[in-house]
Amino acid sequence: MIVARDVKNIDGMLLVPSGCELSERQIDILQAWGVAELEVEAGGEMAQAHDPLAQLPPETLARVTAELRGRYWKPDEFGPVPAEIFKLLLLRQARRILRPPL
Amino acid sequence: MVQAVPRSLGSYGPVLQEIEQALLSTQCNLSTIGDAIQKDPDLTARLLRLANSPFFGFANRLSTVAEAVSLLGIQQIQDMIVASSVLEQFKGVPDHFVNKDSFWRHSLAVGITARLLAMERHLPKPDKFFVAGLLHDVGRLVLLAQAAESAQAVFELYQRERMLLRDAEKKILGYDHQQIAAELLQSWSYPPVLVQAVAFHHSPAQSVAKLEAAVVHIADHLVSAMGIGSSGEQFIPPLDERAWNVLGLSPEALPKIIEAVDEQILAVEEAFLKNENRPRP
Repeated sequence: MIVARDVKNIDGMLLVPSGCELSERQIDILQAWGVAELEVEAGGEMAQAHDPLAQLPPETLARVTAELRGRYWKPDEFGPVPAEIFKLLLLRQARRILRPPL
Repeated sequence: MVQAVPRSLGSYGPVLQEIEQALLSTQCNLSTIGDAIQKDPDLTARLLRLANSPFFGFANRLSTVAEAVSLLGIQQIQDMIVASSVLEQFKGVPDHFVNKDSFWRHSLAVGITARLLAMERHLPKPDKFFVAGLLHDVGRLVLLAQAAESAQAVFELYQRERMLLRDAEKKILGYDHQQIAAELLQSWSYPPVLVQAVAFHHSPAQSVAKLEAAVVHIADHLVSAMGIGSSGEQFIPPLDERAWNVLGLSPEALPKIIEAVDEQILAVEEAFLKNENRPRP
């Protein structure tokens, strides 16, 4: 997610400037520092630009979805937790495809 | 029932025996334990690699076994030796049906994930879950090592009918790899709760240790879905949602756990599966 407004600590010291993208881990660290809430960019082209699934060409997204789905035993009987895991692993795969080569 | 369980696998090797003796001794101290470990250079190297990996995440580098023993604790050291020794025991199993590197990669990842789930849930002794995860499919290796003809029949049926591997095991043998592993671990005097966790990792609701079995069950599902190694199964095993409810974690914990598994697997694999001290052919 993209920070919409500067994040500061209780003393007014800047922790994260606006426009910065935060990972889950960085959010955890901010919470540990006592940051209870922060404003983030919502929707629109900016959000789409940072959604790995939205950045994949449609045929690639269809292929990785079908590949992952094909590895499941009875994928039509998904409950909510396997569905959440499926979504997270699709995102993981998309990030791997989009990652620039070292 | 399971005649395939090899009784010869009943000990973890001389180093662990020496450590157990040192623990029973009235004059036991950490340096005695450290000395026992250092008699095995390969084990020493593995322990130090693991102790310095993101698996433990210590800020300072540990350079001696004595430091590792004092920081990790004797229980964790014992668990790591058990894990390392089990890997050694099955080295000779043929690669016909299951690639062993892939098998251990899957097993290590299930161990890592089970430990992370236990830590996230603040369960006591999370490292026990690492060992339970590591050994959850060891029954399959016993089958391959001791009953090759039965294993062949199982794999032929499983490929022909596109069924779950454990269903093929049950159809051919009348039991599956969970029961084989349970019998092996019992013969090793493994703690009963964790025998239960391994014995019911595909059906945790039937276990008397439901929470422990749920942890290994969820870890197995997650790692299979992440595609990290394989114990021979072609499908991602189904997740019993009751196990998730027993564990009592929020799904919001999942991204952090997936990220940590990806981060830890390479380092742990390096510690357990690489043999730097062995002469190279």
